[in-house]
Amino acid sequence: MALFDPYGDPSRALRIALGALLLVAVVATAGAFAADPESAAPSPVAYDDVVELGLSSETDALMAGSARVPRTQVFYSQLQYVVGYNGVESFAATLGDGRTERQFGYPIAAYVETFDDARPGTTETGLFESTFAGEWTPAAEAVYVVGSDARSPAGETVVPFRTREAAEAFAADHGGRAVDWEAVRSRSYDTDSAATVRSMAPERWDAADERIAAAERRADRPVSVVVGEDAPTVEAAVAAAPANTTVVVPPGTYEETLTVNESVTIAGEGARISGDGEGSVITVRAPDVALTGLSVDGSGGQTRDPEAAREGREDGEVWDTNIQLGYGHGDAGIRAIDAPGLVVDDVTVEANASGLLLREGSHAAIRDLRVDGADEWQDGFMGIAGMQSRVTVTDSRFEGGRDGIYLHRADGSVVRNSTFADNRYGTHLMYTGDALLADNAFRNELFAGITVMTRPSGNAIVGNDVRNSSAGVQASGTRAYIGYNTLVGNELGFSTSSRGSLYERNVAADNELGARATTVVPSSRVVANDFVGNGEHATAGAGALRVWADGDRGNYWEGANVGTHQPGERAYRPTSPVDGALHRHVAAVAVRESPAVALLDRLRGTVPGARSGSIIDPAPATAPYSPDRLDAALDPGAGPVHADWRAELDERSGGGDEDAAMNARDRNATGGGIDPRATRAGPATRPISATRAGQATRPTSATRAGPATRPTSAATEGPGDA
Amino acid sequence: MTGPLTGVATVFRRELATVVRTPGYGVLAVGLLAAVSGLLAAGGGGATGFVPAVVDLLLPTEALVPLAAVVLGYRALLADGASGELAVIRTYPVRVGEYVAGVLLARTVALVAVVGVPYAVVGVGVWLTAAPDTGIFATHAGVDSPLLFLRFLAFVLLLGAAYVSLAAAVSALAASRRSAIALGALALVAGVLGGDLLLLRSLGGGASPATIPGALALTPNGAFRGLVFEHVIGVAFAPEGGFVATGRAVGSLVGWTLFGPVVAGATLAYGRRVDAALERVRSGFGV
Repeated sequence: MALFDPYGDPSRALRIALGALLLVAVVATAGAFAADPESAAPSPVAYDDVVELGLSSETDALMAGSARVPRTQVFYSQLQYVVGYNGVESFAATLGDGRTERQFGYPIAAYVETFDDARPGTTETGLFESTFAGEWTPAAEAVYVVGSDARSPAGETVVPFRTREAAEAFAADHGGRAVDWEAVRSRSYDTDSAATVRSMAPERWDAADERIAAAERRADRPVSVVVGEDAPTVEAAVAAAPANTTVVVPPGTYEETLTVNESVTIAGEGARISGDGEGSVITVRAPDVALTGLSVDGSGGQTRDPEAAREGREDGEVWDTNIQLGYGHGDAGIRAIDAPGLVVDDVTVEANASGLLLREGSHAAIRDLRVDGADEWQDGFMGIAGMQSRVTVTDSRFEGGRDGIYLHRADGSVVRNSTFADNRYGTHLMYTGDALLADNAFRNELFAGITVMTRPSGNAIVGNDVRNSSAGVQASGTRAYIGYNTLVGNELGFSTSSRGSLYERNVAADNELGARATTVVPSSRVVANDFVGNGEHATAGAGALRVWADGDRGNYWEGANVGTHQPGERAYRPTSPVDGALHRHVAAVAVRESPAVALLDRLRGTVPGARSGSIIDPAPATAPYSPDRLDAALDPGAGPVHADWRAELDERSGGGDEDAAMNARDRNATGGGIDPRATRAGPATRPISATRAGQATRPTSATRAGPATRPTSAATEGPGDA
Repeated sequence: MTGPLTGVATVFRRELATVVRTPGYGVLAVGLLAAVSGLLAAGGGGATGFVPAVVDLLLPTEALVPLAAVVLGYRALLADGASGELAVIRTYPVRVGEYVAGVLLARTVALVAVVGVPYAVVGVGVWLTAAPDTGIFATHAGVDSPLLFLRFLAFVLLLGAAYVSLAAAVSALAASRRSAIALGALALVAGVLGGDLLLLRSLGGGASPATIPGALALTPNGAFRGLVFEHVIGVAFAPEGGFVATGRAVGSLVGWTLFGPVVAGATLAYGRRVDAALERVRSGFGV
């Protein structure tokens, strides 16, 4: 024993070393228990680096002006990412709900943006603004002005200050009163949720009906001029026609381009207007123009105007001038500039660039439009390009070209009952919120059926059928409602890119990948979706563990209930290599039941915020939620699947008082925290005791907010965000 | 140098030499390291922090650590007795208590090496590698901290020490290597499963759930699990606690650790009669 001689007396150095080691071990162990792991509150970080939740900062209302929403940044005990909330009230509203706590732990530290020296005020439209950015102050130390006339795009906003003097000065100018953090967090806030968007989807449908009906009435005008009889060309006829009359274009081909400067209807059943390959064929520059029955072709092939875009960059006036000019100034079959009330009915465009180009408030009602675009998307442009123009599209068809419909700052648009095929994107929204995309069919889309870019708020994507495309629905933004879509045979069914959103009742079948969780910090609900026959049901990108369920309701995963356990008894993890193989290889069951897997899986959902890159459904459903749609989706002979979502949403929102709706575990409703009947006024009128129960008994410090949760129960009953 | 400490120290050194000369224990440590790091790799919790790593390790640890401890202890006091060395040792001025204390101290040190080192290595590995899986956002540690893993390690060693001493007691009771294995396995199963089964039974029999925090603390595994929930994992949740009575749980683990040597000492001191009784039982079964 040259190395170790237990019988020899150890050297002095060795003795000292051993003693020291022992001492270090004892001190370290004692220290580990004496030290409070949460005592060091982290310092605020640059807001650009937080993961943003709460109100969108990219709505048109905010992007287009100087308004601000007071911001908050929060450090949660389990979550490695710093969460930023737009709107102090967005953060305060999470303190009363156990979901955030179960997902992220409790807030270790929270900072609010205070505006003492930032020259706060309000814009002309009453939105809060300040000349400078605020500075970060611990939430518990700040003083808040509530009830002032300062508003956010979502409603009342709380304005924080570091000092009471500054708060009272602001209150003197703008009303309201100064209160402390305790008062702010115990208030009830009218926070719009994705459920609000869901409840509004049928209303938007009805609003579209009304717009179409109004358009029909608008277009129905007495005949004043007939081309060929009263005027030689269509342009001459339009010039001759008095306002609010109809120009009739008899069947035939008319080789001309024209500009409409009068509010007339041009009715041309069987008539074709053929341009000369330069510029746009029909340019509309008057309100309430109607175009019916026409065929249009022969526009120029310029998709964008690089010249205009370059000038715009130099002027640099509005934040999106570049895109407005670049995308809004190409050639089109029909181009409308500052022409609100446009009606396009039963029109066909063979598009060399865009089919229909709307800009500068050319709000349009479009029915039965058909746009045939370029075979290669690079050669063409949009079927409809709507720039700052709200469109209502129904029963139309878009084939080929770049995007079927591209909308830019077109809040409130509706696209429904339309068919898209062989585009780059079927429908593509940028900075466009509060829209409804419903009951459309998309086929063979090169990039995606529906894509929403930037961070708009309040879009409803409902009842669409996307097949054989790169992706079904990829919608970013906030407070989106993505429900009742049928996504079959795509590379990706849908992604959960939109935050604070609700993904329910979607059918993802036979896709290479059913769904992908993308946002780093989960804040959405994914529940009551059906996943069948996908190569992989779901995968997750970087970020905290996503819990895809709402209370005791999960999703239906083919394969989740294979095996010897009671259906629905075991949590399902689509991202686990074992669970993910269950629907393809029965042998995975044997692995799943192994003690090693069982021991590892048992507590997995315990600290979801601190885990990463995976999805868990604690309560997988035993049967599909939408069996009929699933059958139709998997039947190769069946056409597009249509969900009767309006009836179902109406049914769910009808009857019964609020308490009954909250208490009942209705298998057909998305239960738990999402109240299908929530309306804009809903949360504010709810009894405070019902939603804020137990607040008084909770710890009062700002850093220890929210109800306590046992880790063991979180594993099995944590309702989730994705 | 005389007095009881000398006796303990001498036995301790001798026993340490025995341990060091047993290559199997080195293999055990390596195997444990492989198992623990394999669990972390499969579970994925270690990729992001200490708390999720502990979540992944907690349940497997409840089986692995008692197993390793029983392997370390099941022959600790048997071997000398079987080979006749104990009889020789007893001719020296070493009392039974000193002998048992020396052996158990050495076995506990062995446990710190065989179990503590693999867990510590894994902890250092988590320390070095755990990171948020994207760097595009600002990140912070939350309540996650190496201190929490250190707490976990302390509980692991406490659990292991309890099992080492129980296994040593069993080894003092056993008459042969085979019966030592059988009794060691029995102690392992009784410890890992039995306590919780008894608790289940008593709850099923109408015991009030309010007794859980106290009753849970009585068994080594229950005490360990409760302590980890309370002081490691539970830290990531808003303060509520109450998974286990901390003082009682620590007291229980220490108590089990002390209970072993007492039983072992008593057995070695007065055990011939027990041996004889066991022998009669054995011959009765015709083994």
